[in-house]
Amino acid sequence: MVHDAKNNTDPETLPWLGRKLLFLDNMKNVDRIVYGLYAFCAVLLLTDLFYYKKTYFTIEDLPGFYGIYGFVMCAALVICARGMRIFLMRDENYYAPKDVESEPYPEDGLDRETVND
Amino acid sequence: MTDLFPPFLVYVIGALILPFLPKGTPRGILTLIIPVIGALLIWQLPQGMHGQVTLAGWELTLLRVDKLAVIFGLIFSLAAFLAMLYAWHVRDQVQQVSALLYAGAAIGAVFCGDLISLFIFWEGTAIASVFLIWARKTEGAYHTGMRYLIVQISSGVILLGGVALLYHETGSTAFEAMTLGSLSTWAIFIAFGIKCAFPLLHNWLQDAYPAATVTGTVVLSAFTTKLAVYALARGFPGTELLIYIGAVMTLFPIFYAVIENDLRRVLAYSLNNQLGFMVVGVGIGTELSLNGTAAHAFAHILYKALLFMSVGAVLFRTGTAKGSELGGLYKTMPLTMIFCVVGAASISAFPLFSGFVTKSLILSGAAHEGHYIVWGILLFASAGVFHHSGIKIPYFAFFAHDSGLRPKEAPKHMLLAMGITAFICIAVGVYPDPLYALLPYEVEYVPYTTTHVITQLQLLFFSALAFTVLMRTGIYPPELKSVNLDTDWSYRRLLPALIGRLVSGFTGLWLFAEGFIERKREKIVATLYRSHGPEGRMARVWPTGSMVLSIAIILGATLVVNFI
Repeated sequence: MVHDAKNNTDPETLPWLGRKLLFLDNMKNVDRIVYGLYAFCAVLLLTDLFYYKKTYFTIEDLPGFYGIYGFVMCAALVICARGMRIFLMRDENYYAPKDVESEPYPEDGLDRETVND
Repeated sequence: MTDLFPPFLVYVIGALILPFLPKGTPRGILTLIIPVIGALLIWQLPQGMHGQVTLAGWELTLLRVDKLAVIFGLIFSLAAFLAMLYAWHVRDQVQQVSALLYAGAAIGAVFCGDLISLFIFWEGTAIASVFLIWARKTEGAYHTGMRYLIVQISSGVILLGGVALLYHETGSTAFEAMTLGSLSTWAIFIAFGIKCAFPLLHNWLQDAYPAATVTGTVVLSAFTTKLAVYALARGFPGTELLIYIGAVMTLFPIFYAVIENDLRRVLAYSLNNQLGFMVVGVGIGTELSLNGTAAHAFAHILYKALLFMSVGAVLFRTGTAKGSELGGLYKTMPLTMIFCVVGAASISAFPLFSGFVTKSLILSGAAHEGHYIVWGILLFASAGVFHHSGIKIPYFAFFAHDSGLRPKEAPKHMLLAMGITAFICIAVGVYPDPLYALLPYEVEYVPYTTTHVITQLQLLFFSALAFTVLMRTGIYPPELKSVNLDTDWSYRRLLPALIGRLVSGFTGLWLFAEGFIERKREKIVATLYRSHGPEGRMARVWPTGSMVLSIAIILGATLVVNFI
């Protein structure tokens, strides 16, 4: 397990479910999940050849249309949004003090407790 | 007074009683009982027009009961109950009272049969809800609340103007389906549009919702905008313009959601995007699509509340909801994480989750009517919403890089509220028939077909693939401490700057004019001093002498005038 020493990462302090999920800390397991995703996407793409697709528009008949559309549009979305940052992003204190973004959340509305408490 | 007891009165009575109860459990129980009684009353209402009252000479109809009103009334009651359960720990009576009044006003608005009572409840939601923002008690929250209130009250004032014009034109204030045309209907349409967060009128939502308290945002997310969707479905079904407005609404917020850092604001953007789907449904106006709007509003209120609850729980435990500060919380808040993922799967319309059986009604509605481009936009927006709400929210809060924060799991009452909400999200997705039975029109729709399930899975998993690839290649924009300019910049920066310029321009002009007059005055005084002062020409003779001179001048002038 890869654990950060500066943090209280003693698994004993974690809730049961949290301990069970600790395998996600291991990058190898994350890689496995990602490969699983690639494989599942490939299977989904192939599925298109094996069933009768009930469609409204001709473009839907294209094998794998939904997959390709989802991938391309999402990639375009992220790249456009990244570009938007150039024009739209400002410092966190841009609207201060008339904005909550620059303020800490008031402590009396919180109940900060850590697993060590 | 009326033949039936209007459900909103339960909330008003509850809000009046609450301050007299001891703090803690008794007040908490009251806030939970009120929505239950309200829902039972709504369930038993007979169809038709009831609750006629006269107010200042106006005939008001407080209870117009039909299936459209009932489904909204019920989901508002359910949302109020779940939000109150989530807010069990809150001891601030201002928040409790305002939440009750807010829910009551929204339910009142849904059942009213005339535009005057709609206006009263419309403003009621605005005034009651602003206290949920002010309850944060910071300077920023005060200013944000003021901005929110100004926008909301303006919407009500425009509505009232429209109603007055409509009465002048038609002699009726009944709240029925209208067609856009005259100034009156346009005013009412715009008033609804402001509350519904139409494009360019939307930014109050992203400004205000993340500024409310942990529990306040959950309450806010349920009512105002869905009331506006109801009002549009009631007042403007089949208005073609709404299809295009809705399509734009689904589209642009997703771009902002990708780059926004505050996760509660990301959710506010995705709320805006989901409203777009409902508005398209109203615009198409067929039975299928109007059913879709009602069903989607129902499902949306629940999964959006669930998402706001889970991010709120993180905020409650860590003091921040910013993506740049969070990460790795799945270890210590695994249940909250799971509930968040259920909300994310529901909003993303995964098969077996609520969004799947409701959003598809609207998409099918668009496809049935042959709206090719709109359908394409909605499909893109569906993929986009999965991208930012479905993946981004759980990923940056609970996974991503380890922030080192080790907060304890959310309190039990929050987990219970999230658990019930998550259960309903899945129940609706697995077995949609009871929800379909509540819809305004007969439903002949089968959501689980091979085509629908596979195409939806393709769309979603390839969106996830895009996210993974972009994340692993480092193209995905990292979460940064920042704010992004949106239309609120126009009234928070541009307008004050313009007014500042105008003021400084006028000040300059004024100072110049003042200086000019001052100089002239000094000149006159100096001239008089020269002629009448101690050294002046007039001081050399006796006053009688100067008087004779003056009279001679006046006589001369009179002669000249007479001559002319």
